[in-house]
This record gives sequence, structure tokens and C-alpha cells, in this order.
Amino acid sequence: MLSTQAIENIKKAIAKYPTKKSASMDALMIAQKECGHLTEDILLEIAHLLDMPPVQLNQVAAFYTMYNKRPVGKYHIQVCTNISCSLLDSEHIVQFFSKRLGIKKGETTSDKKFTLSEVECLGSCGTAPMMQINDDYYENLTEAKVEEILKTLK
Amino acid sequence: MATVKINGKEITVEDGTLILDAARQAGFEIPTFCYQARLSRLGSCRMCLVEIGGQRKLQPSCVTPVLHGMEVFTENETVKSARSSMLEFMLANHPLDCPTCDKGGECELQDFVFKSGPRHSPFDEWKRRFHEKDEILSPIIVKNHNRCIHCERCVRICDEVVGVSALGGIGRGAKTQETSFWNTTLDCDHCGNCIEVCPVGSFMSLAYRYKSRPWDLKEADTVCPYCATGCQITIGARNGEVVRVRSKSATGINKETLCSRGRFGYHFMQSEKRLTKPMIKKGGRLVECSWEEALSAIKQRFGMGRKTAGIASTRLTNEELFVFQKLVRDVFKTNNIDLDSRFANKWVTSAMVDVCGFREGGVSIFDALKADTIFIIGSAISDENPITDYLIRTTASDKRKTLILAHPRRLKLNSSATISLKYKPANLGDVVKGIVDFIEKGKDKAEGDIDAAALRFKNASTITIFLGADILRLDNGTDVLENIAVLKTLLKKTGKNINCLPLFDRCNQRGAISMGIHPLFLPGFKKSEEEGMDCGEILNAAKNGEIESLYVLGEDIVSMYPDARFAKDAVSKVKFLVVQDTFLTETAKMADVVLPGVTYAEKDGTFTNQEGRVQRVRKIISCVGGSKDDLSILDNIGGFGYKSAKDVFDDIKEEAPSYKDILFDALNNTGVLVNGQGTGGMSQEPGVRSQRQEAIDYSEYPFQVITGNHLFHSGRLSQKAHVLVKLLAEPFVEISDEDAKELGLSDKEVVIVKSKEYEAALKLRVVKGSQKGVAFIPENFDSVSVNRFYTRGEGMARVKINKL
Ligand code: SF4
Ligand code: SF4
Ligand code: SF4
Ligand code: FES
Ligand code: FES
Repeated sequence: MLSTQAIENIKKAIAKYPTKKSASMDALMIAQKECGHLTEDILLEIAHLLDMPPVQLNQVAAFYTMYNKRPVGKYHIQVCTNISCSLLDSEHIVQFFSKRLGIKKGETTSDKKFTLSEVECLGSCGTAPMMQINDDYYENLTEAKVEEILKTLK
Repeated sequence: MATVKINGKEITVEDGTLILDAARQAGFEIPTFCYQARLSRLGSCRMCLVEIGGQRKLQPSCVTPVLHGMEVFTENETVKSARSSMLEFMLANHPLDCPTCDKGGECELQDFVFKSGPRHSPFDEWKRRFHEKDEILSPIIVKNHNRCIHCERCVRICDEVVGVSALGGIGRGAKTQETSFWNTTLDCDHCGNCIEVCPVGSFMSLAYRYKSRPWDLKEADTVCPYCATGCQITIGARNGEVVRVRSKSATGINKETLCSRGRFGYHFMQSEKRLTKPMIKKGGRLVECSWEEALSAIKQRFGMGRKTAGIASTRLTNEELFVFQKLVRDVFKTNNIDLDSRFANKWVTSAMVDVCGFREGGVSIFDALKADTIFIIGSAISDENPITDYLIRTTASDKRKTLILAHPRRLKLNSSATISLKYKPANLGDVVKGIVDFIEKGKDKAEGDIDAAALRFKNASTITIFLGADILRLDNGTDVLENIAVLKTLLKKTGKNINCLPLFDRCNQRGAISMGIHPLFLPGFKKSEEEGMDCGEILNAAKNGEIESLYVLGEDIVSMYPDARFAKDAVSKVKFLVVQDTFLTETAKMADVVLPGVTYAEKDGTFTNQEGRVQRVRKIISCVGGSKDDLSILDNIGGFGYKSAKDVFDDIKEEAPSYKDILFDALNNTGVLVNGQGTGGMSQEPGVRSQRQEAIDYSEYPFQVITGNHLFHSGRLSQKAHVLVKLLAEPFVEISDEDAKELGLSDKEVVIVKSKEYEAALKLRVVKGSQKGVAFIPENFDSVSVNRFYTRGEGMARVKINKL
């Protein structure tokens, strides 16, 4: 169940567009901010608010990697492995995280602190390899830099 | 106009024509997957790539319009190799499990690969695999995601044509699955159109699973036996067993679409409950007997003259109905003949004939839908005539059109309507009257919905009015139809073009009336010399002991006549009752002689749909058990000597002028619209008008009952088709959310529905946006036969609804 605040925010988002379903992406993001990840029930609730067939909303949610369909940890580490990043060995960064956190891609640590994901281009190719943790970008990654960053994530 | 050269051949086409269509017109076939004429353009599969002179990259011909002077190549080496490569990509992830795939032998992927595909595959990687076992996605669908080529035809047909939007492409890239919202069991219209349009074996029919290979099927093109939309269907039988119904892509008005009834409602034909032997009443019990015994009993005992009568079902063919009226009129010597037609009184049916201009010939639905304003009243069209609903939905997606939908229930089509009018069933006439008043008084400011609709009429230039079968059931039906006639005249006067079409719920309702199954007119609407009794009058007379012999052809009066107790009582007083039917119905159980007739799959003939389109019914299986085709039974009793349906059709052409130019043998999949025969003949007689009684106090029963077919059912016939029963086995009562809230009732709870006559426990369905004070109960279930709620002579049934 979404909070009244989230529903309010979704309604505000709807008001910005000519048709209700245009607010799909906003609404999904609002819900995700609140609930961490999107579930069947949440999607049904949003579809109802947007007056659209639930399956069409899920098409959007399922298409974008930025919507979490499974629970994620406190810190969601999203390493870009698209072309520019992979040319600069982003795979190594992924491997490094894997080793450091003891989880594979798509998994969450048992203390629910970290989730490791691989994502497509985040539009920051000039500073590849890069990643996004929650809302922040971290660029020009190296093993040492990753160590530093991990220390700041309490 | 644009002149283009396709493979060196010059052709001139309309501006904006797609290259694909231009090429087809020029005689070049281009393979396609994602393209479907009636769906939005996707241009994703790249099967249809062609080369355009001067352009380096190949272009998808299904989304690229021609330009004047364009030179197109559809068959050169570049194109061929692109085609082959596209197929190679598709096969890279395709399981190639043709030997165990139901689609084998009629698969578009198989065919295209065979024709233009690569002969080798350099791919040496793992294929994606969603599942090992196929998934049961609904009671009618079995899905194999591994075989999907992502053309999204299923998704688009469900959204754009069916209007359900139950499917979507979930996921991304090769991992996409075209499936339901959460890949869980679908709760949808179960029309199976997603199965039909799927080019590969991804969406498959559960009922047809592993039943046959296409080349082992014997197929016949025929007409759906349920509603009067008159969809073309192709029945496939293997070793004499009907195993599927499909719809061909370019065939009939339905063009590849069907509803659940048409597609999955075929099992009744070979149900083990079919009557297979004639029966005769001996010592108060029906016992099986020989055809000779049954027929000679009828010949000896069936009376003649005013004390005899015949009632026929509108599911029979024109030929059978023609012979039936001949039997009743020429042999039994009476005009007491009527059709079940919602048990409307004869004046209402006759007014319908007038208002819809049956004598003026057929009107193609496609012409009717060209109108800028479409008005539908008195039909739960989304349930009753699903394919007409599809056609209107696609038409109304053109936002320049106005769709006014008037019905007490919230229907699927409401989401496409410009204006939705709600009314209480008994007040249907007020809606029409309101529109007439607005126009008559020359108003131009709209106050309220009805005025708003009227204003649309005023501003329209072409209008099509669809009149539903609800009107036939109203006790003031003639008044309503008269007002429609006034409306037509008013609008015509201002130079508007008007068409009026009926929406009927039985396949041959229009045909039956034209064949003279009516107490007022003979075939071709010729006025009968003596006015006969209609169904209600026949039953009334029977009750008073004034009907000695009654012949009931394919109709179950006891289950359907609105007032079950009265109907049963009346029928029981008939001295000699003959019932000819395919099942032992409630009426048949009371008969003195029961004759086992056959279903539409076992006979030849024609149906006339609601447009006035005459289409061929074709035999595909032999008569089940010892049943006989209805035509030969009737012919035998009447001694007319007809040899075949075609023989009868020749006589029909003589008697009903609008059929004159139709050639029985030449009837193809499009059928032929009947001609006009001039407006002479019968016209509205004063006769019995409104049968409204003195005001009755209904305050104790606040709900007006509206009935009709559920989307998955049709009359009681569909109860014998087990797939349809699987879709919906139990009756229910549907009310608006407002009423539910007021009564403190919630969806799916069991409630008590009580009228003066009858009370039953029914599951509740709550629909948002339906008219308050209206209860819908489908007419399809034996367990709670809706006609038991009715009191004869009071029109609409009234009920109260309470918590269990
Ligand atoms: S059966 Fe009909 S309503 Fe259901 S998903 Fe398929 S197309 Fe849509
Ligand atoms: S399931 Fe069939 S119709 Fe739907 S996208 Fe896949 S191949 Fe096309
Ligand atoms: S719309 Fe009517 S005619 Fe067409 S398939 Fe359905 S029941 Fe049959
Ligand atoms: S490829 Fe990694 S940010 Fe663009
Ligand atoms: S048919 Fe043209 S792209 Fe699919």
C-alpha cells in the first residue's frame, strides 16, 4: 500500500501531463522511492491511479533497469557495463565488488546493506568506468577508489 | 496519386499507400510478421525490408509510404539476403521444436524459412529458454514463450481490437515475454484472438492441443451459430470429430477475429447429451421409437386450423424456416406462427422490420460505420455482439467520430464512447424521446447528457443507429420504435444520411422474419391474409385450452419465455406437442413426440445476419447418432419433395424478392447483402400498442431486471459446450457499485434476489459505472433460469436484493 503522501505526489505528477498514463514513469519512481522496490500489488495500485491496464504499466517497469523488481539493499550499486565502460574494464570493477562483498551480480548481502547490479549506459561515458549508487554517480573507477567509496557507505 | 515502379512494373496508387500494399497490388508478395492490416504499425520485425532506388539502407515496406516516382525492389539479391538474415536471427533463439509444436504445418515462420530462409545456421551459442514446460495462461490458452518472435500481434489485437489490453511485452530484448500482467492466469475475454494472430506456436489453443495436424483436418467455411453478427468461421474435423474452429485472416466481416463463443463454443455439436433417437410419449413417459413411428404419429395426430400453432428458433437456416412456415401455413393451415425473438409481441417485431428498413435491403456494416455519428441503444453490445463491438471500437478510435452508447450497464465499449448515456431499462424510450424533443423544438443548448447526444445528432451529417434486442423485450417497444422512426424522419428532413441496423442476439433472427416466421407476414414480408397469434398469444390460448397441437422447432419456451410458470402451465395444456431439437430441453421433456434434429455443422443452408447478409452454412460432419437434418424432417411431414437446401432456396427466391438475385452456389465467404424490394407490403398497424398495465407499485422491488447473453454464452446452447462452461459455469447478478455500497454488499458475495414470482441465491458482481437500480442476470443458466423472475404482462421483472 502506498502512503497518502506518495499518492498525493503521484496525483501531482499526473497533473503535469495531458493523459494520466503519461505519468507512468514518475509514478513508478515515486513508489520505488517509498517502497524500495516494485511489487505486483504496488503496480496494481498505481495502474488504478493512472487508469491504465496493469500490464501496460508493467511493460514500462519491466523494461527499465532503474526500476527494482526485487528488494535491494540499503546501497544499490549499479555498475555500468555498456560499451565505453566495458572497454575500460568495468567487468573488473564488477568482479572486485563481487569479491569484496561476497555476492554475485543481482544479489544482496545477507545484512541487506548492498545490492550489486549491472546496468546499461548511464550517459557518463566520458568518465568510464563508472557506477551509480542510489542517486549518486561515481566515476573513473579503480580498485582503490572503490575501496575508498565502500568505506564511506555506513 | 503516385506512380511507382516495383520490380520494373509500373503501378499507380493512392498517395500514402504503403509500399507493402502497392507491391501486393502489383502482384508481389512480401513476407511480414509484425504487420497486420487492422493493427497499428510497428515496423519491428524487419521481414518486409525492400530496396528503394537511391537509398542505401533497406526500408521496412509495412511502414514506408510510396512517393511518386519511387523505384522499389522486392525480389533482388540484396533484399533476399536481408530476408534470409532476418530469419536467421529469429531462428538463432528459436527452439525449432516443430515436431511437437501445434503450429507445425501452418506456421508462418516455418513457411517463410522454407521459402526464403537460410539453409544453414552458424550460431553456436546457447538459446534463451524461459521454461521447459508450456504454461497454461488461461482456460483456453497454452503458451510457449520460447517460440515467440516478438511481433506483438497478440498484444496489439488484445488492446486495439478486442479492447481488453490484457497482454504486454514484459521484459527487454530477447528476454521479453508477451504475457499477462504478472504472467499469471488471465482473467480476460477469452476470445482466443491472440492465439489466432500468433504467427508461430507461442499462443496455442488448449482445447486443440495435440489434437491434429492441419493436413489431417477436413475443413469447411461456415457461419457462427451464436449471435447475428454473422462471423465467418472455419470448422476443422478430424476423423469425423470437430476439433477446432478458426477464423481466416482475410475472410468475412470478422477478418480473423472471433469471440469466445464462436471460437470455443463448438463442443455442443458432439456432446453426449445430444438427442439421437426420436421419442414418443407412452403411458406418460417419453420412450425411444423409430422415425416411422414418430413421423406417422405427427401426420395422424397433428391438427389443422386455428387450434394449431408453430414456434421456431432463429438459429435454424433460412431454408428450414421457410419450409417450416410452409408446413404451418399450407399443411396445418394456420398463421399462428412466431419466432422466439426475445418473445417480443408481433407489433414490436413488425415495427423493428419497418424502422430498420428490412424491405429496403441489407446495409453493410462497413458502410454503416462510415457515418460520422454512431448511436447504439438497447444492446449490451460488448456481450451480445462482440465482433460488432470490435468493429465499432476500431472505427471509434478515429477521434473525429462520435460514438454515443446508451445502455444501463457499463460495457467494455463505453471506454471508446464519446457520450455514454445511462437509463433504467423501462425508461429506454425516454432517451429516444429526449433526443426527438431536442431536435423537434429546435434547441441548441445542451442541458444534460441526452441533450448533448441530441446536439451531436444535429451537427452530424451521416448517422448510423444500432437498435438492440432489449427493445424487443420492452412492453412499450412499439412506442420506442415509433419514436426512432420520428427521429429518422426529422434528421432526414435536415438532409442527413441515416442508416438503422438491428443488433440481434441469434444468428438468423433477421432471416427468420424474412422467411415469414411471423403471424403477420409471409416470406418477403407479404401481409398474411389472416392475422395469426404471436408467441405470447399462442401460450395464452394454450393455457385456455385453445391450442390443441403445437410444433416447437428448436426453441425451449419453458426455459426462455419471460414467466416460466405461465409458460410451463400453458405448454402442459397442449394436447399434442411436437418438439424438434438437438437436446432434451425443458420443453422437449413435456412433448408427445420428440424429433432429434441436427446442429449447423451437420447441414447445408444459409443464415441472414443482422446486416441482411446472406451467408452459407456448410455441412462438415454427418448427423450425430440417429438424428436427421431438420429440413428433411420438415419436408417429410409436409410431403413437399424438397431434395436439398438449394432446392428450397430456389423457392425462397420466388417468394422473397430481396433474395431473388442471390445464387446459392455462388455464395462465398463474403456473403451477399439482400436487395431492396420496395417499401410496399406491411407497414405499422395501430394494433396493440403499449401493453403497459395500470401503474403497479414496485417500491418493494427497487431493481429492474435486465437480461441477455453473457459474453461467454448464448441462450442455453452454450451450456452444452464444455469449454464455455469452464469459462463461466454459474449465473450471477450484476449491479452498480453505488447500489452495492448502499446495500452494504460486496463483489463476489452471495445475495438473495427476490421477485414476486421467484427467489434465488446468486453471486454478486459489482460494476463501477452501471446505472443505479438495475440488476443484470444472464439468461444462460438452467440452475437459475432468469425467466422465473418474470410475471407475464408486466414487462420488466423487478427484484429486491438482500444479504444472504
Ligand atoms: S484471449 Fe482475447 S482477451 Fe484474452 S488475452 Fe487473448 S486476445 Fe486478449
Ligand atoms: S506470442 Fe506470438 S503473436 Fe505474440 S509476440 Fe510472440 S510470436 Fe507474436
Ligand atoms: S460475434 Fe457473434 S457471430 Fe461472431 S463469433 Fe461471436 S457469437 Fe459468433
Ligand atoms: S557506457 Fe558506461 S556510462 Fe555510457
Ligand atoms: S512486417 Fe514490416 S517490419 Fe514487421
